[in-house]
Amino acid sequence: MAAKRHVIVGGGTAGWNAITAIREADKGASEITLVADEAPYARMVLPYYLGRQIGETHVLTAGPQRLAALKVTTRLGRRAARVDAAGGKLILDNGDEVPYDDLLIATGSSAVRPPVPGADGAGVHSFWTLPQARAVSGGIQPGARVAMIGAGFIAFTILNALVARGARLTVLEIAPRILPRMVDDAAARIVQAWLEERGVAVRPGVQVTAIEDAGGAKRVRLKAGAPVEADLVIMATGIRPNLEWLKGSGVEVKAGIVVDARMRSSVPNIYAAGDVAEGPDRVTGAKAVHAIEPTAVQHGRVAGANMAGREVAYPGSLLMNIVDVLDLEIASFGAWDDAKAEAFEDLLPGRPSYRKLLFRGGRLVGAILLGRTREIWATNDVGMLKGLVYTGKDLSAWKARLKARPQDIRLAYLATGTAKELLPQTLLGGPSVPERDVTVNA
Amino acid sequence: MRVLKIIPERCTGCMRCELACSYEQTGTFQPSKAVIRVSSFEGHTSYAPYTCPQCAEAWCLTACPVEAIGISPAGAKEVMDDICVGCKLCTIACPYGTVFYDPDSHKAFKCDLCGGKPACATVCPTQAILYVEAGTEDWLGSFAAERALPGALAGVR
Repeated sequence: MAAKRHVIVGGGTAGWNAITAIREADKGASEITLVADEAPYARMVLPYYLGRQIGETHVLTAGPQRLAALKVTTRLGRRAARVDAAGGKLILDNGDEVPYDDLLIATGSSAVRPPVPGADGAGVHSFWTLPQARAVSGGIQPGARVAMIGAGFIAFTILNALVARGARLTVLEIAPRILPRMVDDAAARIVQAWLEERGVAVRPGVQVTAIEDAGGAKRVRLKAGAPVEADLVIMATGIRPNLEWLKGSGVEVKAGIVVDARMRSSVPNIYAAGDVAEGPDRVTGAKAVHAIEPTAVQHGRVAGANMAGREVAYPGSLLMNIVDVLDLEIASFGAWDDAKAEAFEDLLPGRPSYRKLLFRGGRLVGAILLGRTREIWATNDVGMLKGLVYTGKDLSAWKARLKARPQDIRLAYLATGTAKELLPQTLLGGPSVPERDVTVNA
Repeated sequence: MRVLKIIPERCTGCMRCELACSYEQTGTFQPSKAVIRVSSFEGHTSYAPYTCPQCAEAWCLTACPVEAIGISPAGAKEVMDDICVGCKLCTIACPYGTVFYDPDSHKAFKCDLCGGKPACATVCPTQAILYVEAGTEDWLGSFAAERALPGALAGVR
């Protein structure tokens, strides 16, 4: 029997995890072809590259030698142009055809910019890919004025690096609060005050109308209020999954490629993973796109294991984010914005700490955590909070106590046997193997 | 493999495990830097240490974007400081609450079984922490369920 031909489109987190999961299962028995317009790297650590804590080699996690050692054939620098699902082949942007037995679509997302005059001008950057990170890094001098348009998670991951590089920052956000898709109003107010106390100008509720050249610098015009002058403009105005190329392929696409618990699309031998996949949500049970790194890892592993012939059902992804901005830790889990949930809040006046627990009946469905990174009472149970939301443990008996003291989750975690429930659970049905230990037979 | 087996009934709350752990891990006696943590149960003279179960799923390890977490010869999931960038993804991936972030080193840290000679087990005066060949379990669940008082919070705010 001929070796099975797996084709992976996209070398980001999801694609890379699928490759290692396939090799962990088949030890090199199949053919893997990776099609990607960029060499694989860890996007998640680009902020640390910008902050000069690590060099570029640290970002490039899967170089040519490593891919060769895993018996991966690469078609790098090429994009997938379309899928011929009936013919079982991928057509590349140069017209080359790559036949497959099964295909993984892991094409990730691209940064998007609003249709504002000047948004594509010189000195205006996105921060999403390695080349974009290089460009931003090269444009920053100590004392440089940086206008950050957008105050979402991506923007927040690079605030530390920009401040460390000596930038003078102004953050502009169209929504009425910063981090609008990660935390609620109360948390956003604390974060804003924290940033302002540390010299970062924060202006939520402003709409950018144009970005102009201003004598070697840039001028960001706003619908109301004084314009912002800057040496560098970063547009952190969201990402969009790379799906356009699938039009007419027969693969069902809603917000993302709709996948089942094995990460298969509507076409059985086409899988999807990561930002492009609309998979099961752990809390709601519905299908959702969770464009976050942890979901990309799990999607990729589950897709890879199934492509390698195993039967692995994905229990669903938990929406979660964590970011540390100038030593303030901000995290949220699950349905943190569920307006119909019963919410218990703990807000200490005058202190940058906040906890919110959201319940549906006896189940913790979401949470927000905010506190100084140094204050272990505020931040060190972040993993337990995740465990309680992830398992959906029945906390009915604990609700009165958690209402009075939302910070005090530790005993509820221990006494409800959360660890007992978690210990037998493994994503791929056995102990995880470090990716660096995955090898193929000679 | 050998694991840290915890027998909470034997714990007297002396906190030597936290001190020894932080000393072994960081060179300072600083319980906030310990990766084994003792909980107390109000209304009882009861205490119980809790630490990483070295779970099979290894949530921290699979979550790391730069493969900075490996498995040591002792079988512990171990953070490699020279590779860790401090992104904290492992701290929210771990559903046991046993991966932490060190604001001084800007790295993640967790129980590494002290390279096969765990200080907490060595110093425990009542053998409440044993380093033995066993399957990992939820050592605290039933003990905590007997003692924790979910409703009883008279006088709290």
